Amino acid sequence: MLAPKFLTIQELLNEQTERLQLKVLSGEEGLNRKISSPRIQRPGLALAGYFAQLRAERIQVLGSTELSFMDTLSSERRQQVLEDICQIPISCFILTKGLFPPPEMISIGNKYKIPILQSSLQSSLFIRQISIYLEEKLALETSIHGVLMDIYGRGVLLLGKSSIGKSECALDLIVRGHRLVSDDMVNIKLLPPDILIGSGPELIRYHMELRGLGIINIKDLFGVAAVRYRKKIELAVVMEEWKQECEYDRLGLEESTINILGVDIPLIKMPVAPGRNMAIIIEVAARNQLLKESGYYSAREFDQKVINILRKKSKAKFI
Amino acid sequence: MPKQTVFIKNKLGLHARAASQIVNLASQYTSEVTIQKGNVTANGKSLLGILTLDAPLGSELLIDVNGSDAQELLTKLVELIENKFGEKN
Repeated sequence: MLAPKFLTIQELLNEQTERLQLKVLSGEEGLNRKISSPRIQRPGLALAGYFAQLRAERIQVLGSTELSFMDTLSSERRQQVLEDICQIPISCFILTKGLFPPPEMISIGNKYKIPILQSSLQSSLFIRQISIYLEEKLALETSIHGVLMDIYGRGVLLLGKSSIGKSECALDLIVRGHRLVSDDMVNIKLLPPDILIGSGPELIRYHMELRGLGIINIKDLFGVAAVRYRKKIELAVVMEEWKQECEYDRLGLEESTINILGVDIPLIKMPVAPGRNMAIIIEVAARNQLLKESGYYSAREFDQKVINILRKKSKAKFI
Repeated sequence: MPKQTVFIKNKLGLHARAASQIVNLASQYTSEVTIQKGNVTANGKSLLGILTLDAPLGSELLIDVNGSDAQELLTKLVELIENKFGEKN
């Protein structure tokens, strides 16, 4: 499901016209052009005649520097350089600070069907805002069968086969005051370099399916504080049936991970068996994760303590 | 890994009751089931997952079954969908 992602200029306008204060100045016929990179480019050198590294898939942002440079060119030279740039299928040009382009640019936008937009925001602010938007919009995405919970502020992804009791465990956690992000299916986005953000598909958001009860709405039943729109994923717990032959981690010294969209997330394998209250164990796992993040590893500290005691004793023996 | 493409033929599309029939059937088997529509894939044993496929009349679904009883389950799932989940239209 890692199809290459893109965004058309039309979609950008539909979603961001207000926030980025956008206006179309010319090239309306090219609104179906695609942006496929979250990085923006400033075509200063291209205007001076150096076209290498000019990327079609990026947004070309022109501020007052670029426009005042164009002003220094003769009309013929401007026409020529813009014609040359437009040989590359540029996704669009955006002028910031409410600036207007020279007349040659308007006609070239229409001729080559390359949209020329204007934003009334300042360049630095505009670039920041659009980068955030594009990075999120063009982020790699996948969806996973599982439950995402916010436990003490940690994003915990519960995985495991269907009917292992993920939803029941999540409900237990909600009753204990933790927050549901999504049940059954979690959409995960990668915000480079290594942040995974999980959220629920819109249709089933805040809903949960429990065998015997059916579909319930957690937000209605438990209130707005029991749910969260999205959450960074920081820990994964795989619930599985207790297998006699499988050895489970008794010490907590080994750390395993699960790779999602190229990011390694700490993983705990959690056997399910009668008498094991999963919600409480997972809650403690989240607490332990908090401890680890603050630099304290219970298992390692304990291991060190035992080693120190053994060392002391063996010295005493040989003196 | 048997897989097959089916089209939704009932008027209401893949609604909650229909989805529950798929889940109930799939849960009787040990095989893993995934149902794909476009670039969205759902676990065939997850009711809410299937609903996120958002599949109206005419949608094309790819059912992919993996496991020891895969072929039998796939045949039954296709039959269920082709028979419009027992609905009249």
